[in-house]
Amino acid sequence: MNSHNDYDLYKAISEKVREGRKIALATIVSAKGSVPRGVGAKMLVDPGENLVGTVGGGCGEGEVIEAAHEVIRTGEPQMVRVDLTEDLLSLSPAVCGGTMEVFVEAITE
Amino acid sequence: MTEATQRPLTAIEATAEVLEALQARQPIAVVVPVSGAKELVGKRVVIRQAKGGAKRLVGSFGDSDLDAGALALGTKRIEGRRASREGVHELESSSGATIEVYVEAHHPHPDLVIVGAGHIAQPLCSIGSAMGFRVIVVDDRPEFATEERFPEADRVVRVDFRDPFADIPMHSTSHVVLVTRGHKYDYECLRHLLQGEVEPPYVGMIGSRRRVRAAFSQLQNEGFGERDRLSRVRAPIGLDIGAETPVEIAVAVLAEIILQWRGGTGAPLMDQERILDRFFKEPEPR
Repeated sequence: MNSHNDYDLYKAISEKVREGRKIALATIVSAKGSVPRGVGAKMLVDPGENLVGTVGGGCGEGEVIEAAHEVIRTGEPQMVRVDLTEDLLSLSPAVCGGTMEVFVEAITE
Repeated sequence: MTEATQRPLTAIEATAEVLEALQARQPIAVVVPVSGAKELVGKRVVIRQAKGGAKRLVGSFGDSDLDAGALALGTKRIEGRRASREGVHELESSSGATIEVYVEAHHPHPDLVIVGAGHIAQPLCSIGSAMGFRVIVVDDRPEFATEERFPEADRVVRVDFRDPFADIPMHSTSHVVLVTRGHKYDYECLRHLLQGEVEPPYVGMIGSRRRVRAAFSQLQNEGFGERDRLSRVRAPIGLDIGAETPVEIAVAVLAEIILQWRGGTGAPLMDQERILDRFFKEPEPR
């Protein structure tokens, strides 16, 4: 039932590329345990602009955004492994308890 | 089977295919290599579905085994409903090299067709719309089938219940809820649905045990069998959550639709997971 969001995200990709923005797309391609968003969740990173979509809020998103910036610089796609199992009992709000793999790639014309 | 392009699509070409498919209300699957041959990582092929259901590959990995594998994975993803089966799979090329591919499918916006524009139809429309359905409300009474009563609906249509779906095409993502004011109308609409060209994935009919029994025995007398579509009609409609008010009934109906779409059990998670058993030897009396 989430095809609506997919449509909006794909639309954003196509608009940003048409505007000549340098963007990266992050997609959760596998997940184990408790993660905030499931496989297929996507985030569009356009440095200096707001993020479109999310791969999990505080949970590991920082790592993914960093990788996205690097991917935009180098043009080389990356698989980011995010481990959220550490510090399960810490009081940080960003603790979720699972692991996920996020494929990060630059999208160009 | 493949188109003239004997190369994989770029991400942006695949994006255009996805947008075009969803606008045309067709499902589509995307296959993306995420590890393996470097020249393929981040490229795409997509699997499109023609009207009759036949699948075709757009783009090519330049290897017949990889293409056949991608087509098979995409076809499975288009036909299966559970989102949780998306993910990474291994494919082997003709030369024995393996690549890992990520597969995802996109389905057009599901429709929620509400037949009968009464007091249960209103919360069905607003909650259904919030869930992401394209809502279509139909009734034969002009004073009920109004946009003012259904502000979130995509379409509010006045129809003749003797041929209610003449202008409402059914497809593989239509969910139909029969909540007309009288059992006679529910029965007639159900009859049309059972005979329609496409079987919607969800057809539910509201009604007391007696009313449902009456409608089903009449349809059986007319030759609709136990093993065909009639047996898949959800009647009485909804999950048993003790719903009483119109809003609660709408929640029970939509919960059943989610259950069918996502494939849950409908049982409380607490009873399934039994995490608390480890904490309390004797369960607390309820």
